[in-house]
Amino acid sequence: MTRRKLQVHAAQIAVLIFVFGGWQLFTTLKIVDPFFFGKPSGIVSQAVSWVRHGTSFGSIWLQIETTMEEAVLGFIIGVAGGIVVGVLLGQVRFLSEVLSPYIKAVNALPRIVLGTLFIIMLGLGMSSKVVLAAFLVFFVVFFNAYQGVREVDGNLINNARVLGASRMQLVRNVVIPSAMTWIIASLHVAFGFAVIGAVVGEVLGAQHGLGVLITDSANNFNADGVFAGMIIIGALALVAEWLISLLERRVLAWRPQMATEASAV
Amino acid sequence: MTVEPGEFCAVVGPSGCGKSTTLTLVAGLDQASEGTVAVGGQPVTGIGRGTSFMFQTDALLPWKTVLGNVAMGPLFRGVPKKQALTDARDWLRMVGLTGFEDHHPHQLSGGMRKRVALAAALINEPSILLMDEPFGALDVQTKAIMSNELLTLWDQSRPSVIFVTHDLEEAIALADKVVVMTAGPGTVKAVFDIDLPRPRGSVQEIRFGQRFTELHHEIWESLRDEVTRAYARTSALAGPVPAVEEVPS
Repeated sequence: MTRRKLQVHAAQIAVLIFVFGGWQLFTTLKIVDPFFFGKPSGIVSQAVSWVRHGTSFGSIWLQIETTMEEAVLGFIIGVAGGIVVGVLLGQVRFLSEVLSPYIKAVNALPRIVLGTLFIIMLGLGMSSKVVLAAFLVFFVVFFNAYQGVREVDGNLINNARVLGASRMQLVRNVVIPSAMTWIIASLHVAFGFAVIGAVVGEVLGAQHGLGVLITDSANNFNADGVFAGMIIIGALALVAEWLISLLERRVLAWRPQMATEASAV
Repeated sequence: MTVEPGEFCAVVGPSGCGKSTTLTLVAGLDQASEGTVAVGGQPVTGIGRGTSFMFQTDALLPWKTVLGNVAMGPLFRGVPKKQALTDARDWLRMVGLTGFEDHHPHQLSGGMRKRVALAAALINEPSILLMDEPFGALDVQTKAIMSNELLTLWDQSRPSVIFVTHDLEEAIALADKVVVMTAGPGTVKAVFDIDLPRPRGSVQEIRFGQRFTELHHEIWESLRDEVTRAYARTSALAGPVPAVEEVPS
Protein backbone atom coordinates (compact mmCIF):
# COMPACT_ATOMS: atom_id res chain seq x y z
CA MET A 1 0.00 0.00 0.00
CA THR A 2 2.61 2.58 1.10
CA ARG A 3 4.99 1.14 -1.47
CA ARG A 4 2.41 1.72 -4.16
CA LYS A 5 1.86 5.26 -2.93
CA LEU A 6 5.60 5.93 -3.08
CA GLN A 7 5.70 4.68 -6.64
CA VAL A 8 2.80 6.95 -7.59
CA HIS A 9 4.48 10.00 -6.04
CA ALA A 10 7.80 9.17 -7.71
CA ALA A 11 6.08 8.86 -11.09
CA GLN A 12 4.25 12.15 -10.50
CA ILE A 13 7.54 13.95 -9.86
CA ALA A 14 9.03 12.31 -12.94
CA VAL A 15 6.18 13.69 -15.09
CA LEU A 16 6.75 17.17 -13.67
CA ILE A 17 10.49 17.03 -14.39
CA PHE A 18 9.86 15.64 -17.87
CA VAL A 19 7.44 18.43 -18.84
CA PHE A 20 9.24 21.41 -17.31
CA GLY A 21 12.72 20.00 -17.97
CA GLY A 22 11.80 19.38 -21.61
CA TRP A 23 10.32 22.85 -21.90
CA GLN A 24 13.44 24.41 -20.37
CA LEU A 25 15.70 22.29 -22.57
CA PHE A 26 13.92 23.01 -25.85
CA THR A 27 13.76 26.75 -25.20
CA THR A 28 17.40 26.93 -24.03
CA LEU A 29 18.51 25.09 -27.19
CA LYS A 30 16.34 27.56 -29.20
CA ILE A 31 14.47 24.67 -30.83
CA VAL A 32 11.38 26.51 -29.57
CA ASP A 33 11.53 30.30 -29.41
CA PRO A 34 11.41 31.38 -25.75
CA PHE A 35 10.16 34.81 -26.86
CA PHE A 36 6.80 33.33 -27.84
CA PHE A 37 6.66 30.24 -25.67
CA GLY A 38 8.22 31.44 -22.43
CA LYS A 39 10.70 29.47 -20.41
CA PRO A 40 10.38 27.93 -16.91
CA SER A 41 13.42 29.76 -15.58
CA GLY A 42 12.09 32.99 -17.08
CA ILE A 43 8.70 32.43 -15.45
CA VAL A 44 10.35 31.97 -12.06
CA SER A 45 12.50 35.06 -12.41
CA GLN A 46 9.45 37.06 -13.57
CA ALA A 47 7.50 35.95 -10.48
CA VAL A 48 10.46 36.76 -8.21
CA SER A 49 10.84 40.18 -9.76
CA TRP A 50 7.11 40.89 -9.22
CA VAL A 51 7.48 39.98 -5.57
CA ARG A 52 10.71 42.02 -5.13
CA HIS A 53 10.10 45.07 -7.28
CA GLY A 54 6.34 45.04 -7.70
CA THR A 55 4.42 45.30 -10.98
CA SER A 56 3.49 48.26 -13.13
CA PHE A 57 0.16 48.37 -11.26
CA GLY A 58 1.55 48.32 -7.72
CA SER A 59 2.74 45.47 -5.56
CA ILE A 60 1.97 41.88 -6.55
CA TRP A 61 0.13 41.37 -3.27
CA LEU A 62 -2.31 44.11 -4.20
CA GLN A 63 -3.07 42.29 -7.48
CA ILE A 64 -3.57 38.97 -5.72
CA GLU A 65 -5.70 40.57 -3.04
CA THR A 66 -7.89 42.33 -5.60
CA THR A 67 -8.53 39.21 -7.66
CA MET A 68 -9.16 37.04 -4.61
CA GLU A 69 -11.47 39.57 -3.04
CA GLU A 70 -13.54 39.71 -6.22
CA ALA A 71 -13.60 35.94 -6.57
CA VAL A 72 -14.47 35.26 -2.93
CA LEU A 73 -17.18 37.94 -2.79
CA GLY A 74 -18.65 36.70 -6.08
CA PHE A 75 -18.46 33.13 -4.80
CA ILE A 76 -20.30 33.92 -1.56
CA ILE A 77 -23.03 35.94 -3.29
CA GLY A 78 -23.44 33.36 -6.06
CA VAL A 79 -23.58 30.42 -3.66
CA ALA A 80 -26.08 32.10 -1.35
CA GLY A 81 -28.26 33.12 -4.28
CA GLY A 82 -28.00 29.70 -5.91
CA ILE A 83 -29.00 27.86 -2.73
CA VAL A 84 -31.91 30.17 -1.91
CA VAL A 85 -33.36 30.20 -5.43
CA GLY A 86 -32.64 26.50 -5.95
CA VAL A 87 -34.41 25.43 -2.75
CA LEU A 88 -37.29 27.84 -3.39
CA LEU A 89 -37.89 26.62 -6.93
CA GLY A 90 -37.39 23.01 -5.87
CA GLN A 91 -40.08 23.43 -3.23
CA VAL A 92 -42.61 25.63 -5.00
CA ARG A 93 -43.67 23.83 -8.14
CA PHE A 94 -45.65 26.76 -9.53
CA LEU A 95 -42.64 29.09 -9.34
CA SER A 96 -40.35 26.58 -11.02
CA GLU A 97 -42.80 26.00 -13.85
CA VAL A 98 -43.17 29.73 -14.46
CA LEU A 99 -39.47 30.56 -14.27
CA SER A 100 -37.79 27.51 -15.79
CA PRO A 101 -37.86 28.65 -19.47
CA TYR A 102 -36.34 32.00 -18.47
CA ILE A 103 -33.63 30.39 -16.38
CA LYS A 104 -32.75 28.08 -19.24
CA ALA A 105 -32.64 31.03 -21.63
CA VAL A 106 -30.36 33.11 -19.40
CA ASN A 107 -28.16 30.08 -18.79
CA ALA A 108 -27.79 29.62 -22.55
CA LEU A 109 -26.37 33.16 -23.00
CA PRO A 110 -22.60 33.40 -23.45
CA ARG A 111 -22.04 34.64 -19.93
CA ILE A 112 -18.48 35.82 -20.43
CA VAL A 113 -19.80 38.39 -22.90
CA LEU A 114 -22.05 39.68 -20.15
CA GLY A 115 -18.83 40.78 -18.47
CA THR A 116 -18.49 43.61 -21.00
CA LEU A 117 -22.04 44.66 -20.18
CA PHE A 118 -21.34 44.66 -16.44
CA ILE A 119 -18.30 46.87 -17.02
CA ILE A 120 -20.45 49.33 -18.96
CA MET A 121 -23.04 49.28 -16.19
CA LEU A 122 -20.81 49.18 -13.12
CA GLY A 123 -17.53 50.66 -14.27
CA LEU A 124 -13.93 49.48 -14.07
CA GLY A 125 -13.96 48.95 -10.31
CA MET A 126 -14.35 45.72 -8.40
CA SER A 127 -18.14 45.56 -8.44
CA SER A 128 -18.39 44.56 -12.12
CA LYS A 129 -16.03 41.60 -11.52
CA VAL A 130 -17.86 40.54 -8.38
CA VAL A 131 -21.15 40.54 -10.29
CA LEU A 132 -19.70 38.52 -13.16
CA ALA A 133 -18.18 35.97 -10.76
CA ALA A 134 -21.43 35.74 -8.78
CA PHE A 135 -23.37 35.28 -11.99
CA LEU A 136 -21.21 32.37 -13.12
CA VAL A 137 -21.29 30.75 -9.67
CA PHE A 138 -25.03 31.20 -9.28
CA PHE A 139 -25.99 28.91 -12.13
CA VAL A 140 -23.70 26.08 -11.11
CA VAL A 141 -24.96 26.11 -7.53
CA PHE A 142 -28.56 26.78 -8.50
CA PHE A 143 -28.89 23.74 -10.77
CA ASN A 144 -27.32 21.48 -8.18
CA ALA A 145 -29.43 22.80 -5.31
CA TYR A 146 -32.58 22.49 -7.41
CA GLN A 147 -31.76 18.93 -8.42
CA GLY A 148 -30.77 18.09 -4.86
CA VAL A 149 -34.11 19.32 -3.54
CA ARG A 150 -35.93 17.33 -6.19
CA GLU A 151 -34.07 14.14 -5.29
CA VAL A 152 -34.93 14.16 -1.60
CA ASP A 153 -36.21 10.73 -0.58
CA GLY A 154 -40.01 10.88 -0.44
CA ASN A 155 -39.99 8.51 2.51
CA LEU A 156 -37.97 10.95 4.60
CA ILE A 157 -40.40 13.73 3.73
CA ASN A 158 -43.47 11.64 4.58
CA ASN A 159 -41.91 10.46 7.82
CA ALA A 160 -41.14 14.01 8.94
CA ARG A 161 -44.63 15.15 7.93
CA VAL A 162 -46.29 12.44 9.99
CA LEU A 163 -44.02 13.30 12.92
CA GLY A 164 -45.51 16.78 12.77
CA ALA A 165 -43.05 18.89 10.77
CA SER A 166 -44.27 22.22 9.40
CA ARG A 167 -43.18 23.34 5.95
CA MET A 168 -40.27 25.37 7.32
CA GLN A 169 -39.18 22.57 9.65
CA LEU A 170 -39.31 20.19 6.72
CA VAL A 171 -37.08 22.43 4.60
CA ARG A 172 -34.60 23.04 7.42
CA ASN A 173 -34.39 19.51 8.82
CA VAL A 174 -34.88 17.33 5.78
CA VAL A 175 -34.70 19.15 2.44
CA ILE A 176 -31.59 21.30 2.89
CA PRO A 177 -29.43 18.67 4.66
CA SER A 178 -30.40 16.18 1.99
CA ALA A 179 -29.61 18.57 -0.86
CA MET A 180 -26.34 19.50 0.86
CA THR A 181 -24.52 16.57 -0.75
CA TRP A 182 -25.37 18.03 -4.16
CA ILE A 183 -24.68 21.62 -3.18
CA ILE A 184 -21.26 20.88 -1.69
CA ALA A 185 -20.30 18.89 -4.77
CA SER A 186 -21.05 21.95 -6.89
CA LEU A 187 -18.85 24.23 -4.75
CA HIS A 188 -15.65 22.70 -6.11
CA VAL A 189 -16.61 23.66 -9.65
CA ALA A 190 -18.19 26.90 -8.50
CA PHE A 191 -15.02 28.36 -7.02
CA GLY A 192 -13.24 27.74 -10.30
CA PHE A 193 -15.99 29.72 -12.00
CA ALA A 194 -15.64 32.53 -9.45
CA VAL A 195 -11.94 32.88 -10.30
CA ILE A 196 -12.71 32.76 -14.03
CA GLY A 197 -15.32 35.49 -13.55
CA ALA A 198 -12.91 37.72 -11.64
CA VAL A 199 -9.98 37.24 -14.03
CA VAL A 200 -12.04 37.58 -17.21
CA GLY A 201 -13.63 40.72 -15.79
CA GLU A 202 -10.17 42.12 -15.18
CA VAL A 203 -9.00 41.16 -18.66
CA LEU A 204 -11.98 43.02 -20.09
CA GLY A 205 -11.05 46.15 -18.19
CA ALA A 206 -9.79 46.98 -14.71
CA GLN A 207 -7.20 48.94 -12.78
CA HIS A 208 -5.80 46.17 -10.60
CA GLY A 209 -5.73 42.41 -10.45
CA LEU A 210 -4.01 39.35 -11.86
CA GLY A 211 -6.11 39.56 -15.02
CA VAL A 212 -4.75 43.05 -15.66
CA LEU A 213 -1.24 41.76 -15.10
CA ILE A 214 -1.80 38.97 -17.62
CA THR A 215 -3.24 41.24 -20.33
CA ASP A 216 -0.46 43.75 -19.76
CA SER A 217 2.17 41.02 -20.11
CA ALA A 218 0.45 39.74 -23.25
CA ASN A 219 0.35 43.22 -24.76
CA ASN A 220 4.10 43.51 -24.16
CA PHE A 221 4.79 40.08 -25.68
CA ASN A 222 5.96 38.92 -22.26
CA ALA A 223 5.06 35.22 -22.42
CA ASP A 224 6.81 34.54 -19.10
CA GLY A 225 4.57 37.12 -17.46
CA VAL A 226 1.41 35.45 -18.81
CA PHE A 227 2.55 32.06 -17.53
CA ALA A 228 3.58 33.46 -14.15
CA GLY A 229 0.16 35.07 -13.72
CA MET A 230 -1.55 31.83 -14.72
CA ILE A 231 0.48 29.80 -12.24
CA ILE A 232 -0.26 32.20 -9.39
CA ILE A 233 -4.01 31.94 -10.14
CA GLY A 234 -3.74 28.15 -10.34
CA ALA A 235 -1.98 27.97 -6.98
CA LEU A 236 -4.60 30.18 -5.35
CA ALA A 237 -7.40 28.02 -6.79
CA LEU A 238 -5.73 24.91 -5.37
CA VAL A 239 -5.65 26.48 -1.90
CA ALA A 240 -9.33 27.35 -2.21
CA GLU A 241 -10.12 23.84 -3.38
CA TRP A 242 -8.37 22.47 -0.30
CA LEU A 243 -10.41 24.77 1.96
CA ILE A 244 -13.63 23.61 0.31
CA SER A 245 -12.64 19.98 0.85
CA LEU A 246 -12.16 20.77 4.56
CA LEU A 247 -15.63 22.31 4.64
CA GLU A 248 -17.06 19.30 2.83
CA ARG A 249 -15.57 16.90 5.33
CA ARG A 250 -17.04 18.95 8.17
CA VAL A 251 -20.54 19.44 6.79
CA LEU A 252 -20.89 15.90 5.46
CA ALA A 253 -19.22 14.19 8.42
CA TRP A 254 -22.28 11.99 8.85
CA ARG A 255 -21.65 10.15 5.60
CA PRO A 256 -20.14 6.68 5.56
CA GLN A 257 -16.41 6.56 4.85
CA MET A 258 -16.40 5.80 1.13
CA ALA A 259 -17.18 9.43 0.27
CA THR A 260 -13.67 10.60 1.19
CA GLU A 261 -12.09 8.21 -1.26
CA ALA A 262 -14.00 9.75 -4.13
CA SER A 263 -12.87 13.25 -3.19
CA ALA A 264 -9.24 12.12 -3.22
CA VAL A 265 -9.33 11.82 -7.01
CA MET B 1 -63.03 -2.18 7.74
CA THR B 2 -63.02 -0.73 11.24
CA VAL B 3 -60.30 -0.72 13.85
CA GLU B 4 -61.36 -0.26 17.47
CA PRO B 5 -59.34 1.88 19.88
CA GLY B 6 -56.46 -0.15 21.26
CA GLU B 7 -56.94 -2.93 18.74
CA PHE B 8 -54.05 -4.54 16.89
CA CYS B 9 -55.22 -5.14 13.34
CA ALA B 10 -53.10 -6.89 10.72
CA VAL B 11 -53.84 -6.52 7.01
CA VAL B 12 -52.76 -9.24 4.60
CA GLY B 13 -53.33 -9.52 0.89
CA PRO B 14 -51.55 -10.08 -2.41
CA SER B 15 -48.97 -7.57 -3.65
CA GLY B 16 -50.46 -4.49 -5.20
CA CYS B 17 -53.88 -4.75 -3.57
CA GLY B 18 -53.58 -1.37 -1.91
CA LYS B 19 -52.49 -2.27 1.60
CA SER B 20 -49.89 0.46 1.75
CA THR B 21 -52.18 2.99 0.10
CA THR B 22 -54.72 2.37 2.85
CA LEU B 23 -52.12 3.39 5.41
CA THR B 24 -51.19 6.61 3.62
CA LEU B 25 -54.89 7.48 3.49
CA VAL B 26 -55.33 6.90 7.22
CA ALA B 27 -52.19 8.94 7.90
CA GLY B 28 -53.55 11.81 5.82
CA LEU B 29 -50.55 11.76 3.47
CA ASP B 30 -52.89 11.17 0.52
CA GLN B 31 -56.54 11.96 -0.07
CA ALA B 32 -59.00 9.24 -1.04
CA SER B 33 -60.55 9.69 -4.50
CA GLU B 34 -63.59 7.69 -3.46
CA GLY B 35 -64.96 6.61 -0.13
CA THR B 36 -64.00 8.03 3.23
CA VAL B 37 -61.48 7.45 5.93
CA ALA B 38 -62.50 8.49 9.41
CA VAL B 39 -60.42 8.59 12.56
CA GLY B 40 -62.33 8.89 15.82
CA GLY B 41 -65.50 9.59 13.83
CA GLN B 42 -63.97 12.55 11.99
CA PRO B 43 -63.07 12.29 8.29
CA VAL B 44 -59.32 12.57 7.67
CA THR B 45 -58.46 15.83 5.92
CA GLY B 46 -54.79 16.15 6.76
CA ILE B 47 -52.07 14.72 8.91
CA GLY B 48 -53.47 14.05 12.34
CA ARG B 49 -51.61 14.66 15.56
CA GLY B 50 -52.30 11.28 17.07
CA THR B 51 -50.87 9.23 14.23
CA SER B 52 -47.44 7.67 13.85
CA PHE B 53 -46.18 5.80 10.82
CA MET B 54 -43.45 3.21 10.54
CA PHE B 55 -42.31 2.72 6.97
CA GLN B 56 -41.10 -0.33 5.15
CA THR B 57 -37.79 1.25 4.22
CA ASP B 58 -35.63 3.28 6.54
CA ALA B 59 -36.99 6.74 7.09
CA LEU B 60 -34.33 7.85 9.56
CA LEU B 61 -32.41 10.98 8.66
CA PRO B 62 -28.87 9.77 7.91
CA TRP B 63 -27.28 13.12 8.93
CA LYS B 64 -28.85 13.15 12.37
CA THR B 65 -27.65 11.07 15.29
CA VAL B 66 -29.82 8.35 16.76
CA LEU B 67 -30.82 10.71 19.56
CA GLY B 68 -31.59 13.50 17.10
CA ASN B 69 -33.78 11.19 15.05
CA VAL B 70 -35.84 10.09 18.02
CA ALA B 71 -36.16 13.63 19.41
CA MET B 72 -37.43 14.90 16.06
CA GLY B 73 -41.12 14.21 16.65
CA PRO B 74 -41.42 16.15 19.93
CA LEU B 75 -39.24 18.98 18.56
CA PHE B 76 -41.50 19.35 15.50
CA ARG B 77 -44.45 19.60 17.86
CA GLY B 78 -42.90 22.35 19.90
CA VAL B 79 -41.69 20.44 22.95
CA PRO B 80 -38.72 22.33 24.51
CA LYS B 81 -35.39 20.93 23.36
CA LYS B 82 -34.22 19.78 26.79
CA GLN B 83 -37.45 17.90 27.43
CA ALA B 84 -37.41 16.35 23.95
CA LEU B 85 -33.87 15.04 24.42
CA THR B 86 -34.70 13.60 27.84
CA ASP B 87 -37.76 11.84 26.40
CA ALA B 88 -35.70 10.56 23.48
CA ARG B 89 -33.10 9.09 25.88
CA ASP B 90 -35.90 7.37 27.81
CA TRP B 91 -37.30 5.86 24.64
CA LEU B 92 -33.89 4.69 23.48
CA ARG B 93 -33.48 2.96 26.82
CA MET B 94 -36.85 1.26 26.34
CA VAL B 95 -35.84 -0.13 22.96
CA GLY B 96 -32.47 -1.22 24.36
CA LEU B 97 -30.24 1.28 22.57
CA THR B 98 -28.66 3.11 25.51
CA GLY B 99 -25.08 3.94 24.54
CA PHE B 100 -25.89 4.44 20.86
CA GLU B 101 -27.30 7.99 21.19
CA ASP B 102 -24.46 9.62 19.26
CA HIS B 103 -24.18 7.03 16.50
CA HIS B 104 -25.42 7.77 13.02
CA PRO B 105 -27.97 5.41 11.44
CA HIS B 106 -25.50 3.94 8.95
CA GLN B 107 -23.38 2.71 11.85
CA LEU B 108 -26.23 0.52 13.13
CA SER B 109 -27.49 -2.89 12.05
CA GLY B 110 -30.84 -3.28 10.32
CA GLY B 111 -32.54 -4.43 13.51
CA MET B 112 -31.11 -1.53 15.51
CA ARG B 113 -32.32 0.96 12.92
CA LYS B 114 -35.81 -0.52 13.25
CA ARG B 115 -35.63 -0.02 17.02
CA VAL B 116 -34.73 3.63 16.47
CA ALA B 117 -37.64 3.99 14.04
CA LEU B 118 -39.95 2.33 16.58
CA ALA B 119 -38.81 4.71 19.33
CA ALA B 120 -39.21 7.68 16.97
CA ALA B 121 -42.76 6.56 16.15
CA LEU B 122 -43.84 5.87 19.74
CA ILE B 123 -42.32 8.96 21.36
CA ASN B 124 -45.19 11.05 20.00
CA GLU B 125 -47.55 8.86 22.05
CA PRO B 126 -49.79 8.07 19.10
CA SER B 127 -53.32 6.79 19.45
CA ILE B 128 -52.90 5.19 16.03
CA LEU B 129 -49.75 3.43 14.91
CA LEU B 130 -49.52 2.58 11.23
CA MET B 131 -46.94 0.02 10.20
CA ASP B 132 -46.15 -0.82 6.61
CA GLU B 133 -44.24 -4.12 6.58
CA PRO B 134 -41.88 -2.60 9.13
CA PHE B 135 -39.84 -5.76 9.62
CA GLY B 136 -40.01 -6.97 6.01
CA ALA B 137 -36.33 -6.42 5.29
CA LEU B 138 -35.05 -8.14 8.43
CA ASP B 139 -33.76 -11.68 8.74
CA VAL B 140 -36.07 -14.21 10.37
CA GLN B 141 -34.45 -14.20 13.82
CA THR B 142 -34.22 -10.42 14.08
CA LYS B 143 -37.79 -10.17 12.88
CA ALA B 144 -38.98 -12.47 15.68
CA ILE B 145 -37.10 -10.46 18.30
CA MET B 146 -38.49 -7.19 16.97
CA SER B 147 -42.02 -8.62 16.94
CA ASN B 148 -41.71 -9.56 20.62
CA GLU B 149 -40.46 -6.09 21.47
CA LEU B 150 -43.23 -4.48 19.50
CA LEU B 151 -45.83 -6.44 21.46
CA THR B 152 -44.23 -5.48 24.78
CA LEU B 153 -44.11 -1.78 23.89
CA TRP B 154 -47.59 -1.84 22.40
CA ASP B 155 -48.95 -3.38 25.58
CA GLN B 156 -47.72 -0.40 27.61
CA SER B 157 -49.68 2.32 25.82
CA ARG B 158 -52.10 0.28 23.66
CA PRO B 159 -52.47 2.45 20.57
CA SER B 160 -54.64 1.16 17.74
CA VAL B 161 -52.34 -0.54 15.25
CA ILE B 162 -52.79 -1.22 11.56
CA PHE B 163 -50.01 -3.59 10.60
CA VAL B 164 -49.59 -4.32 6.91
CA THR B 165 -47.66 -7.46 6.06
CA HIS B 166 -47.69 -10.36 3.66
CA ASP B 167 -46.36 -12.73 6.26
CA LEU B 168 -49.49 -14.50 7.54
CA GLU B 169 -47.71 -16.06 10.52
CA GLU B 170 -46.49 -12.67 11.65
CA ALA B 171 -50.01 -11.31 11.28
CA ILE B 172 -51.60 -14.05 13.40
CA ALA B 173 -48.90 -13.96 16.06
CA LEU B 174 -49.24 -10.22 16.59
CA ALA B 175 -52.82 -9.21 15.89
CA ASP B 176 -56.26 -9.26 17.47
CA LYS B 177 -57.81 -9.24 14.05
CA VAL B 178 -56.56 -10.20 10.59
CA VAL B 179 -58.09 -8.52 7.54
CA VAL B 180 -57.71 -10.31 4.20
CA MET B 181 -57.87 -8.07 1.14
CA THR B 182 -58.83 -9.10 -2.38
CA ALA B 183 -56.57 -8.86 -5.40
CA GLY B 184 -57.02 -6.12 -7.98
CA PRO B 185 -59.63 -3.71 -6.73
CA GLY B 186 -58.53 -3.93 -3.13
CA THR B 187 -61.56 -4.53 -1.02
CA VAL B 188 -61.92 -6.32 2.28
CA LYS B 189 -62.59 -9.99 1.65
CA ALA B 190 -62.84 -11.34 5.16
CA VAL B 191 -62.03 -10.44 8.74
CA PHE B 192 -60.77 -13.07 11.18
CA ASP B 193 -60.70 -12.59 14.92
CA ILE B 194 -57.61 -14.02 16.51
CA ASP B 195 -58.71 -15.42 19.86
CA LEU B 196 -55.26 -16.33 21.07
CA PRO B 197 -54.87 -15.12 24.67
CA ARG B 198 -52.67 -12.20 25.59
CA PRO B 199 -49.93 -11.76 26.65
CA ARG B 200 -48.83 -14.00 23.84
CA GLY B 201 -45.27 -14.58 24.96
CA SER B 202 -42.68 -15.44 22.38
CA VAL B 203 -43.88 -15.22 18.76
CA GLN B 204 -41.50 -18.04 17.87
CA GLU B 205 -43.30 -20.47 20.16
CA ILE B 206 -46.89 -19.41 19.76
CA ARG B 207 -46.95 -20.72 16.23
CA PHE B 208 -46.62 -24.32 17.38
CA GLY B 209 -49.89 -24.14 19.30
CA GLN B 210 -52.92 -26.00 17.97
CA ARG B 211 -55.21 -22.97 17.81
CA PHE B 212 -52.55 -21.04 15.87
CA THR B 213 -52.36 -23.79 13.26
CA GLU B 214 -56.15 -23.89 12.91
CA LEU B 215 -56.35 -20.12 12.43
CA HIS B 216 -53.49 -20.19 10.00
CA HIS B 217 -55.20 -22.87 7.96
CA GLU B 218 -58.53 -21.05 7.97
CA ILE B 219 -57.10 -17.66 6.92
CA TRP B 220 -54.81 -19.18 4.33
CA GLU B 221 -57.84 -20.84 2.66
CA SER B 222 -59.25 -17.37 2.19
CA LEU B 223 -55.98 -15.70 1.19
CA ARG B 224 -54.91 -18.40 -1.25
CA ASP B 225 -57.50 -17.57 -3.93
CA GLU B 226 -56.51 -13.93 -3.90
CA VAL B 227 -52.82 -14.70 -4.14
CA THR B 228 -53.47 -17.09 -7.03
CA ARG B 229 -55.58 -14.51 -8.83
CA ALA B 230 -53.00 -11.76 -8.35
CA TYR B 231 -50.28 -14.08 -9.54
CA ALA B 232 -52.29 -15.11 -12.59
CA ARG B 233 -52.75 -11.46 -13.52
CA THR B 234 -49.07 -10.61 -13.36
CA SER B 235 -48.00 -13.74 -15.22
CA ALA B 236 -50.88 -13.99 -17.69
CA LEU B 237 -48.44 -13.88 -20.58
CA ALA B 238 -46.02 -16.29 -19.01
CA GLY B 239 -48.05 -19.47 -19.53
CA PRO B 240 -50.19 -21.73 -17.34
CA VAL B 241 -50.57 -20.77 -13.71
CA PRO B 242 -49.36 -23.22 -11.10
CA ALA B 243 -51.92 -23.74 -8.36
CA VAL B 244 -50.82 -22.62 -4.93
CA GLU B 245 -51.50 -25.61 -2.75
CA GLU B 246 -48.85 -25.80 -0.11
CA VAL B 247 -49.31 -23.89 3.10
CA PRO B 248 -46.01 -22.02 3.43
CA SER B 249 -44.40 -22.36 6.80
